[in-house]
Amino acid sequence: MDEQLLEPVRENIYQLNLGPQHPSTHGVLRVLLKLDGEYIVEAEPVIGYGHRGHEKMGENHTYLQFMPNTSRMDYLSGLIYNHGYCLAVEKMCGIEVPERARYIRVICAELNRISSHLLWFGTYVMDLGGFTPFLYCFDDREQILDLLDGVSGSRLTYSYCRFGGVNRDVDDAFVAGARRFIARLRSRWVDYHNLVTKNVIFIHRVRDVGIIDRDLALRFGVTGPNLRAAGVAYDLRKIEPYEVYDRFDFEVPIGGKGDAQDRYHVRLAEMEQSCRIIEQAIEALPAGRFRNEYRYQHVTPPKGDYYLGFESARGATGYYLVSDGSRYPYRCHIRVPSFGNLQVLTEVLKGTMVADAISILGSVDLVIPEIDR
Amino acid sequence: MATNDALIEQLRTLVGAPAVTADLDFSRGITAEVRVTLAQLWPALEACRDAGYFLETITGLDFVDTNELVYQVNRYEPRCRIALRLLCGKDQKVPTVSDIFSSALWQEREVWEFFGIRFTDHPDLKPLLLPEDTDFHPLQKDFGKVHAYRRRDEIYG
Amino acid sequence: MATEKVEPVIQFALLDDLLNLARANSLWPMTFGLACCAIEMMAAGAARFDLDRFGAGVFRPSPRQSDVMIVAGTISRKMAPVIKRLWDQMPNPKWCIAMGNCAISGGPFEYPEQYAIVPGAHLIVPVDITVPGCPPRPEGLIQGILALEDKITKGEQRNLLRRFSRKVEAR
Repeated sequence: MDEQLLEPVRENIYQLNLGPQHPSTHGVLRVLLKLDGEYIVEAEPVIGYGHRGHEKMGENHTYLQFMPNTSRMDYLSGLIYNHGYCLAVEKMCGIEVPERARYIRVICAELNRISSHLLWFGTYVMDLGGFTPFLYCFDDREQILDLLDGVSGSRLTYSYCRFGGVNRDVDDAFVAGARRFIARLRSRWVDYHNLVTKNVIFIHRVRDVGIIDRDLALRFGVTGPNLRAAGVAYDLRKIEPYEVYDRFDFEVPIGGKGDAQDRYHVRLAEMEQSCRIIEQAIEALPAGRFRNEYRYQHVTPPKGDYYLGFESARGATGYYLVSDGSRYPYRCHIRVPSFGNLQVLTEVLKGTMVADAISILGSVDLVIPEIDR
Repeated sequence: MATNDALIEQLRTLVGAPAVTADLDFSRGITAEVRVTLAQLWPALEACRDAGYFLETITGLDFVDTNELVYQVNRYEPRCRIALRLLCGKDQKVPTVSDIFSSALWQEREVWEFFGIRFTDHPDLKPLLLPEDTDFHPLQKDFGKVHAYRRRDEIYG
Repeated sequence: MATEKVEPVIQFALLDDLLNLARANSLWPMTFGLACCAIEMMAAGAARFDLDRFGAGVFRPSPRQSDVMIVAGTISRKMAPVIKRLWDQMPNPKWCIAMGNCAISGGPFEYPEQYAIVPGAHLIVPVDITVPGCPPRPEGLIQGILALEDKITKGEQRNLLRRFSRKVEAR
């Protein structure tokens, strides 16, 4: 009886259902918000509205048949997912990859990373109410898609990498186009900074909003730009260099306190670093074969398991493959970065206002079908 | 690298030296593999957390004779990915580790809905990705069309 | 499961034609993406492809303001009831475009004993136009929208605004 009386009065709490169809939830995320006036008391993301059973498909498809699935998980950086999957299977089977193919993969993956960040930039600013930067970003993004379309034949879901190389060779037009694109993107930074970075309304919406510090990130397994914004230089391209990333000179941009503004700056700086990697890779692009002489259709990795971690546009991603010695994987588990990046919001959203919640949701760069798999 | 070795040594004393396999070549993407029992899971993961590691992923595996859980922990720098492998019988319950790593809250829900492995003391064990009224566990090997259903020793010898 | 469309009881032929012409040339799609195709839908509305040229670029965030639902992506079992509800919330007259192979028939995710998805939007809502592709290019979506315009005006010849603009181009 006494305990009941001591409980604080919570009659003003009401529940708001954000999503699954909401223009700011980037797809099919649903967040149940418990509100006290304008303030969020509790936030519970409800996911699974894009669940397609990728992991089950991995078990009844051969290794090569699973390749198209990889670019449909995180469709904004599909080529990076292709790349990671190929690396994992190649490491398991001991397949050699020609030097030229390795460089082509890095160039394409970094182009894909820029296109993913550009799309994030446009949609995030649109969430905050600015429509014009969206058009600028998509204009720039189309240039990348033209390049990748030219080599892979698809604008979004590439499936470009193959075991032991890539599907098609790049030509001089691609190289020249990539150079032109980098010059064009660099000339655009001034516009972006004038339009968005120095915009007072934007600054007030993002500064000191949604702080994810190091301890919180450690508890929830946050990775990628969201972690680097908190000042931790954790980038799998540096820490466990895969492919030929250890041959390039690039920096890992980090932020300070881990608020939405830091995340914004880290992503912009990352695009510039990706440009540097592409430039160096184009400079050093060796001649030779773009794929192995033998075309690996049905690979049979030796028994055992293998984990390969790589850095997608959203953070540390990984394939955990278990082989039973047959043409089909016994288990195919994918560690997706957005999983931790979304889960941390249960803590971050507490005590913020609803308008800030939209800003925070956009700033962590979620791709929901990647979480749902 | 010194701190990594310290943690591996600590795990050796916790679970016994033969259960720890260090692979410094990183040939399978993992620095060290630790076989733990149900009772050793908590102390081992607590040691990892105190050494500054985060929980990367929990993978469930379904074999004819047993279920297996692979907890992967990693740290920011230098690289050191440790896999803790826990064998649990078909009907055994596993203690939740969500008090150690908050990210386990969702990952355990995912393992529960996909494999039907129950976690004791989990605060909110309901399906995460599937509709809440789902009554099947899709990643169990006897569900749907799969290529093979094997015993654990057929793969790991 | 699919519901039939409700036609109004009283119809005026000439007025109807005029209204249909207006409807066809100012379609308001709903901002509603499910998966990969949603990105191409955004691209279709952005700088290069510019759906506004065909009057269909005003993406509305609420189903109550929109008259085209573009089902862009895989429909999971969990999402299916939500799509049905969104469709019911849209005012008549309304149309539906199934964009991408997933929304048409399950696409690459459909195989025997698939447990997670609904193979096709037509099982939930009546579909007017299907745009194949995985994902379809923005040009494909534009073609789909033009086809829908022709369907609304009951024939390409009767879509006067398009005929007019085409004559201007030819000149």
